[in-house]
Parts: sequence; structure tokens; C-alpha cells
Amino acid sequence: METAFELAPAIVLLPLAAFVVALLVGEYMPKKGALAGIAATAGSLLLSLYVVAAVATGGEHQETYFTWAAGDAFSETGESAIEFTFGILLDPLSALMLVIVSLIAFLVHVFSLGYMNDEGETGLRRYYAELGLFTFSMLAFVVADNLLMAFMFFELVGLCSYLLIGFWFRTESAPSAAKKAFLVTRFGDYFFLLGVVAIGATFGTLAFQGDNSFVAAASDAIEGGEPLFGFEPRTWVTITGLLVLGGVIGKSAQFPLHTWLPDAMEGPTTVSALIHAATMVAAGVYLVARMFGYYALSPTALAIIALVGGFTALFAATMGVVKDDIKQVLAYSTISQYGYMMLGLGVGGYVAGVFHLMNHAFFKALLFLGAGAVIVLMHHEQNMWKMGGLKDKAPVTYYTFLAGALALAGIVPFSGFWSKDEILFDAILVGLNEPIFLVAYAMGLLAVFFTGFYTFRMVFLTFHGEPRSEAARDPHPVGWNIKFPLLTLGVLALVAGVANLAPVYKLTGLEITYLEFWLDGQYGGYADLTYTAYGDTVPFGTEYIAGSETITLLIAAGLGLGLAVAGAIFAMVLYNVPEPEPHTENLGSARTVLRSNYYQDEYQVWIAENLSLPLARTADRFDQSVIDGVVNGVSSVSLFGSSRMKRLQTGVVTNYAALMIVGFIALLLVLGVLGGWFV
Amino acid sequence: MSVGIEHYVILSLALFCIGLFGVLTRRNALMFLMSVELMLNAANINLIAFAFYHGNLTGQVFALFTMALAAAEVAVGLGIILVLYRNFRDVDVTVPSAMRW
Repeated sequence: METAFELAPAIVLLPLAAFVVALLVGEYMPKKGALAGIAATAGSLLLSLYVVAAVATGGEHQETYFTWAAGDAFSETGESAIEFTFGILLDPLSALMLVIVSLIAFLVHVFSLGYMNDEGETGLRRYYAELGLFTFSMLAFVVADNLLMAFMFFELVGLCSYLLIGFWFRTESAPSAAKKAFLVTRFGDYFFLLGVVAIGATFGTLAFQGDNSFVAAASDAIEGGEPLFGFEPRTWVTITGLLVLGGVIGKSAQFPLHTWLPDAMEGPTTVSALIHAATMVAAGVYLVARMFGYYALSPTALAIIALVGGFTALFAATMGVVKDDIKQVLAYSTISQYGYMMLGLGVGGYVAGVFHLMNHAFFKALLFLGAGAVIVLMHHEQNMWKMGGLKDKAPVTYYTFLAGALALAGIVPFSGFWSKDEILFDAILVGLNEPIFLVAYAMGLLAVFFTGFYTFRMVFLTFHGEPRSEAARDPHPVGWNIKFPLLTLGVLALVAGVANLAPVYKLTGLEITYLEFWLDGQYGGYADLTYTAYGDTVPFGTEYIAGSETITLLIAAGLGLGLAVAGAIFAMVLYNVPEPEPHTENLGSARTVLRSNYYQDEYQVWIAENLSLPLARTADRFDQSVIDGVVNGVSSVSLFGSSRMKRLQTGVVTNYAALMIVGFIALLLVLGVLGGWFV
Repeated sequence: MSVGIEHYVILSLALFCIGLFGVLTRRNALMFLMSVELMLNAANINLIAFAFYHGNLTGQVFALFTMALAAAEVAVGLGIILVLYRNFRDVDVTVPSAMRW
């Protein structure tokens, strides 16, 4: 058990080694560095599984490896010293996430052999080096034991996705999408940084876990009731929590900072799979789960998380309905699904949120890799209207993609159903007690219908009907390196729900909610980071319809499943025909609004051009005129003065002698007057 | 009437002022150099007079040093004047005025 924890840093460092190897000698290696990446991520995966086994047998681990700054602090709560460290925290949550990230990264590396190497892409050394760095940053973020380390690797994750989205930097759109992703997430991260500083300055600690964690300090401060920076302690916790949430909203592409994500489809599809399933976008939600104890202290912050999540889930799902590009549909589904996770966490459903994070990682990676396979089949065509009829020609891709689609739509018994159902169930329980959450629940529930619709619209347009282009009639074959990741993930998308069959437990009493036990620390873990501990802190009460848990459960599950199936059937009626029509055109002006993404980009550009730009201009003018004016004024005064002074020098030696004598006499007089010779 | 220290000081003062006047008014470099020598020798008179007055030899030794210095200075000064003449065909000190800003 101890060995597993001693080896844990290697999980993080192996992909870093792959990055260095690929960068230095990738050009001379067979497959241009892919093998290094595959070996490293496979090693990380095995070690992660070893760590999971160690945690499952009753272990937990926290170790500080490196203190890079320590000093005095004047914190509000009286802590007199603060340390900035690098360390790891291994508990059920981070162990679970380690497995998810290293598994997805491993499969993406394998898939890249088929998607990048076999398709003859150039710049592969750079590609694999960046993938390695990306995996490294995400794994380091996952195991971070303090907020500052988490922030640093959060930023590194953002940088890597910038590099990878802009992989095809010679096109016009990819660099612009990369810049947009970087700037929008940076905007959120700016608030995150403020939050880190505020938390550090308030509590004098940034640790996630233990008696000296900022969560424990915040809880003590709320009990003590002493004001923090002039605010009620709970208000201050809300403020700092919301500042950190800024980073989460940027990274996890929640409204209103979601606009970067659809554009990020400019990167290679493998990168999209990695970004959406396990790394960049997952980082935001993972952070909320990591410091859930802190958010649990603030009902306001939780309500905002739930409402933003519910709104984003619905908002993004409606936009997914009208997209023609297969990757765009998936992009909006990602935004929508992360909305669900936020909704789940916001109503205090920690297990439900993490469960959906896990299931989503599997089925979204599957769908993106499936889309990648479709793009290979279609000779790099992404428009679904030019596909069709791929079902019989690529059965492996079709059936695995279908498994992912069923999981995404939330159709029983695929994994997505169980976690989405649990989120909605938790939301309705809290919603019945606190009506504000009912709004979030209603939005989440409505989004289920749209999810079912756009998912199956995508499936039917891509795989069913008659082929609508030359490429669809004669698809390019795909190799084992594409089929193997698809099959692995396809199986996971089908069975991952078994991890937490909460409805079955509630109906039959069978104790099979393993993920809940896992996250509750029943196998091993820190007592302050468990579901029970969070549940005691979360300030919301729950209520049941007609006072019965069973009835509520059946109604909630029935509604969710019914709407998902209704959406799927609606899509089937419209699109499962040999020659489908573009029915969304009947939506008229609503379609225009949806196609333009509710003019989100336009209004953000408007804000940038009409508010930020004039503000920046004014600041620039102030800088140029006042600040620079003072500096330039000083220098021109001295310039003018010295141009006059230099005329003293005539070049005639007699004048110098005279000046010396006059100066000497003057000096003598001054000294005489001061020394009192003449009195 | 005995010769007191004040007489030496007045002599030295007069000599110095003559030298100073020469430095400020003469344009001929040779006259200039001579005026400087006068000022130096005014200082020498002072040194020797006070050495005699105090009854020790320090001042006299310094006067010897000053004379050696003056000899060296004359050598350098004459060298400069020769170069001056070679360049300007003149030994007027106000003519070369290019060594300024």
C-alpha cells in the first residue's frame, strides 16, 4: 500500500518524461514520439489503478514534496505564517480522476496512431510532445494538495489546450480559435487568481485537506462569527468561492464563458476528445468537487452553481439541435453535460456530480473518437448532410458510437442514464424544499429532451439513410488503432453505470452504490473529504413528492427517461428515413437565433469593442499624456537647462582661469560669512 | 627695523597678484607660462618664510619639491606651446577654442 503512494509521483512525471522525449528525439523515433506517449500513459494508468487499489484497502495519502516559499502572513483569522508548496493528495476523488485521465489519455494516444500518423499529418513530434505535457499538467492538477498548485497546473492545462487547438496553425481559423480559447479561459482564471489570493490572505493556508485546510478554517470562522475583511464570514466565503468559480466557469465552458469551446473544434479530433472528456473542461468541475467542502459552507454559491449549471445545460442543448457539423453537435453536448454536473454539485449531490463526470468522460471520449473515426471514414468531411449510410460499412464505429449516443441521451441501461437521473433526482429533492432549485431542475429536465433529440439526429444523419456523397459511398477503412479505443470505451459507456445504481438501491435495498461508498471513504479516505461530511455541511433540506421516496424516484426517473426517449423518437421520425430533409429550417427565425448561438459571440465582441476598447484607449491616453508627460517634462527641463549651462564653456583658457578664481573667491566669501570671519 | 613675517607675506601676495594679472590678461602663451611661474614662486616665498618663522625645515623641503615640479611643468608647458605654434602658426592662447561642447 505504501509502495503505491510512494510511486504516485511517477503517475504525474511519466507523461512529462514522454513530453521531453518526444520533444528532443521524437523526430528520430518510429511513429514520431507516439510510442513514448503510449508507454508513459499506460504506465500512469497502471500506477493509477495501483493507487486505487491502495485507497480501496483503506489508504489515503498526503505528502508535501517541495516548499518553494514560506513566510510571515497577516491573515484575517490569525494564522501568522503561510507556505507555498507542491504536494500530492490521494483520496478517493483524486484516485478516481487519475484513472479516468490516464485511461482517456492512453486511448487518445493509441487513437492518434490511426488519426494522425496513418493520415500522414506533419508536425507529429510537436503533437505528441504537447499531448504529453497536457496529460502531465492535468494529472498534476488532479493530485494537487493545495489551491495554489491547483491554480498553476490549471493554467498549464489552459496553455496546452491553446497549443493543441492551434495545432494546424497554418490555417486561418485554428490560431484564432486557440487565441479565443486562451483569452476566454484566462478571463475566468483572472477571477480564480483573485480567489486564491483572497483565500490565502483570509485564512493563511491553501491546503485542501486536514485541520489546517482553508475549508476547516472557513468553517471555524463561520462558527466564530468574527467579521472577515468587514464582511460576515459566510458572505466572505461566498465571495471568495464565487471568485474561484470564475475560473471554473471559464474552463468548464459554462454560460457566459462557454463561447470558446465550440471554436475549439478547430483542433484535431483526438485533442477534442482529450479536452472534453478528461482534461481541460473536466478540470473546472473537478475543482468544484475538490473544494466542495468550501462551497458547501455557502448556500448562495451553491445556488449560483446550480442555476448556472441548469441554465447552461438547457441553453447549450438548444444550440446543439441546429448544427450540421458533427463535431459542433458534440461540442454543444459537452457544454450541456458539464452544466448537468454543475447542477448536481450545486444541489449538494456530490456523488451524482462526480458520477456524471466519470460517465461523461467515458462516453464523450467515445463519441469524439467515434466522430474522429467517422471523419477518417469520410475522407475528412465533417458535415453530417454529406454522410449517411455508414452503418453497414463501418459496424464497429457504428455500434460503439451508438453506445456513446445512448449514454449521452440518458437511455437506460447505459451509463449516462444512471448519473443524469441521480443529478435530476437530487435536484428535485432540494427543489421541492427550496423553489429556486426547482427552476434549475426544470431547465435540466427540459434539456434532457433536447439532448435526446440532437444526439439521435446526429446518429441518424451520420449512419442511417442513403449515402449522400461520394465519400460516404466508399469510406476509407480504419485500422485496429482506431477500433481498439472505441471498443474499450464502448464497453465502459455501457457498463460504467453499474458503479452506482442508486435507484436500484432505493427500490430494492440492495447495497450496490459502490461509487457512493467509495466517495464516502468507506473503503479508505480522509474523514473531512467524504460525502457524509459534505452532506452535513450542505445547508439544504430535502422533500419528497407525497412524502414517499419511491414515488419521487419513479416520477423523476420516469420523467427523465420519458423525455429522453421522446427526443430520440422525435429525431427518429424526422431523420431515420432514406433521404432526410433539413427539418430545422422550418424553425424560421428561431433557427437563425440558434445558428448564431444566441448572438453570444456578437455581444461579447460588442462589449470588447464598445466598452473595453474605449476604456483601454482612455487608459492609454492617460498613460501617454500624464504619466509619460511627467517623465518627458523632467527630461526636457534638464535638457534645456544643460543646453544653457554648456555655454559657460568657451574653450578659451583665460576664461577658465577667471572662472576658477571667481569661484575660489566666492567659496572663500561663503565660508567666511558662515564661519564668522567678518564679525 | 627688522624684517618681519608680514613683509614676506606682502611680497608673496604682490608676486601672486602680478602672476594672476598676467594669467588673466596676457594672450601670449609664453607670458602666460611665466605668469604661472610667478604664482608658483609666490607660494615658494610663503613656504620658506613660514619655515624660517617656525624654525623647522619642512617648508624648505616643500619649496624644493615645488621647484622641481615647476621645472617639470615648464618642460610640459613649452612642449604644448611648441605644438600650439606648429598647429596655429601663433602662440595666442585665445585662438584654439575648439575644445568645448
